[in-house]
Amino acid sequence: MVSSQLANRESMIFTLLAGNLAHGLLLGGVYGMATMGLSLIFGVINVVNVGHGQFIMVGAFITLTMFTALGLSPVVSIPVALILGMALGFFFFYTVMRRLIRAPELTTLLATFAIGILLEEIAKLIFGADFRGYNWGVGKITLPITTIPMSKVYAFIGSIVIALFLYFWLSKTRLGTTIRAVIEDNEGAKVCGVNVGWIYALSFAIGIGLTVMSGVLLTMFIPVGINPYMGGVYTLKAFVIAVLGGLTSPYGAFFAGLIFGLIENGAYTLFALIPGVAPFPLTISLAFWMLFFLLLVKPTGILGK
Amino acid sequence: MKNTISKYYPLIPVFIAYLIMFLIGFSVPGMWQMVALLAFYCALGQSWNIFMGMTGYVDFGYVTFIALGTYGMSLGISYLYHFEWLGIGIIFIGILLALFLASLSALLEAFIALRLRGAYFAIACIGINEGLRYFIEGAKLWGGSEGLIFSGALMQALGREVANQLTTFWADFSVFIIAALAAFLNMHYMRSKIGYALTAVREDEDAAKVMGINTTKYKTIAFLTSGLLGAGVGAMAWGLKLGYVYPGDVFVIHYTVECIVVVLLGGAGTLMGPVVGGLIYGLSKYWLAIIMPGFQLLIFAPIIIIIIVAFPEGVIGLLKSRLRGTKYKMFIE
Repeated sequence: MVSSQLANRESMIFTLLAGNLAHGLLLGGVYGMATMGLSLIFGVINVVNVGHGQFIMVGAFITLTMFTALGLSPVVSIPVALILGMALGFFFFYTVMRRLIRAPELTTLLATFAIGILLEEIAKLIFGADFRGYNWGVGKITLPITTIPMSKVYAFIGSIVIALFLYFWLSKTRLGTTIRAVIEDNEGAKVCGVNVGWIYALSFAIGIGLTVMSGVLLTMFIPVGINPYMGGVYTLKAFVIAVLGGLTSPYGAFFAGLIFGLIENGAYTLFALIPGVAPFPLTISLAFWMLFFLLLVKPTGILGK
Repeated sequence: MKNTISKYYPLIPVFIAYLIMFLIGFSVPGMWQMVALLAFYCALGQSWNIFMGMTGYVDFGYVTFIALGTYGMSLGISYLYHFEWLGIGIIFIGILLALFLASLSALLEAFIALRLRGAYFAIACIGINEGLRYFIEGAKLWGGSEGLIFSGALMQALGREVANQLTTFWADFSVFIIAALAAFLNMHYMRSKIGYALTAVREDEDAAKVMGINTTKYKTIAFLTSGLLGAGVGAMAWGLKLGYVYPGDVFVIHYTVECIVVVLLGGAGTLMGPVVGGLIYGLSKYWLAIIMPGFQLLIFAPIIIIIIVAFPEGVIGLLKSRLRGTKYKMFIE
């Protein structure tokens, strides 16, 4: 009797874990896509974008506004977010970042942080500080272990498509290979006649565009809790993922995102079984200890040599 | 002999500035709170600058030390207040706990994070800060996310009269002391072997290593000093003064950014810089909060960006290059 109850409890935990891991894999894909912009920008202009999450917040508000005010599906918001994000990227590059290319970390970190604050405050001015959300009813699929809303599946598919597109663009086109050349060695690229200044601007704009676009996918995944200050936690998660992926590699970032999503949801399920602790903050804490450990043992990331 | 004293001349304007601030706050009614705020920013800027100014490393997670300092004081008071024989001693135990927690985390960070450079170092520091914050909340350590509230405990232990004096005067006064101490240590390090070693690290760390400088040792000394001073400010200006602590209130990266803004406004790596920066930042923040409540950040963000782009060397940096070669030079550092 007792043993069958125990076996029952074990199988329940197993089902719960498997279900949460399935959600984690989908979320991880979106996380990975949301970090590619950070890695691209760090790789090309060697700037850690501390205002990363705030650009995700911009994407979230684009989705929300298009959905509630114009009644457009979040899928339409994806290209809009890319274009608006790239415009923002070019704007901030030519007004601020261009002058800070060779500057010490002190100024670049502070500048990107200030840009983040500026975006937060402008969003607060326009939308107010309330938490908002929307309901995109596109049905759900039921698996034996769990039920997954279709919106999450679409967000995952969208992330993979964008990641693949970026992969082919970076590896097969001339412009993409030029960007990779600048990541490898900007002096060498300059000697070979690459207009490095333009590549910096373009990569920064694409990085920001990707980030704003990932805000759309993230709100497809989690359509609640949209507010001007939602970005901070994504900046921090993106740091962990970017370091896991090697910090300069957009592909590494994508795979690291998948792993991170699995670890996050798996750890949450297990922490929830321990009595007397708060599983949610403990999971976030685990992520940062992981970051710390990784920086120590393998700062080149999981795909690094 | 003259040489040993004259190398401390740049401290004179700094100490005079702190003295004037203190006297204004002490004698003009209603000014104490504002002067305390200014002293808080000056002290934090000065403490942060000790490590960053000399090594060029950006500790983006500096607020960890301030937060742990706050926790040290809070733990001392909330867990020991019922031992009546300790009396005022619990404040000193609180300070010791603050310094202990901060040095523990500083040594851990120094051991691990100081092997990293540039952006990796900054990210690792942010990671430690967030990891600690969520660990305290998650493991429900020290009151978890509900934090510790101990102003009642303080009154019970020391009586209403003494507790009031401590929170309204001595907490702020000790921030002045810490600010002055930070300026002195900064100057002392700059003019000693430590300063020369760290300048070498800042210019070219690998070359310094090859020349036989124990870079890790000197970096750790500066890091520890900077962290302990920060913990002192936290213990006094947040812990003792406010009488409560929540993890979500103290482990906030915004405060590190405030330190950086203060230092950058005045001039990074200079001695006078944090004082001038702290005054400019504190006064304008105070003033903006009165004339446009709720819009301070919206105004500050573009100003920060403009300053970074247009005057990256700060007020003192500009002044220093102006006064080079004149007799006032030795007072400016």
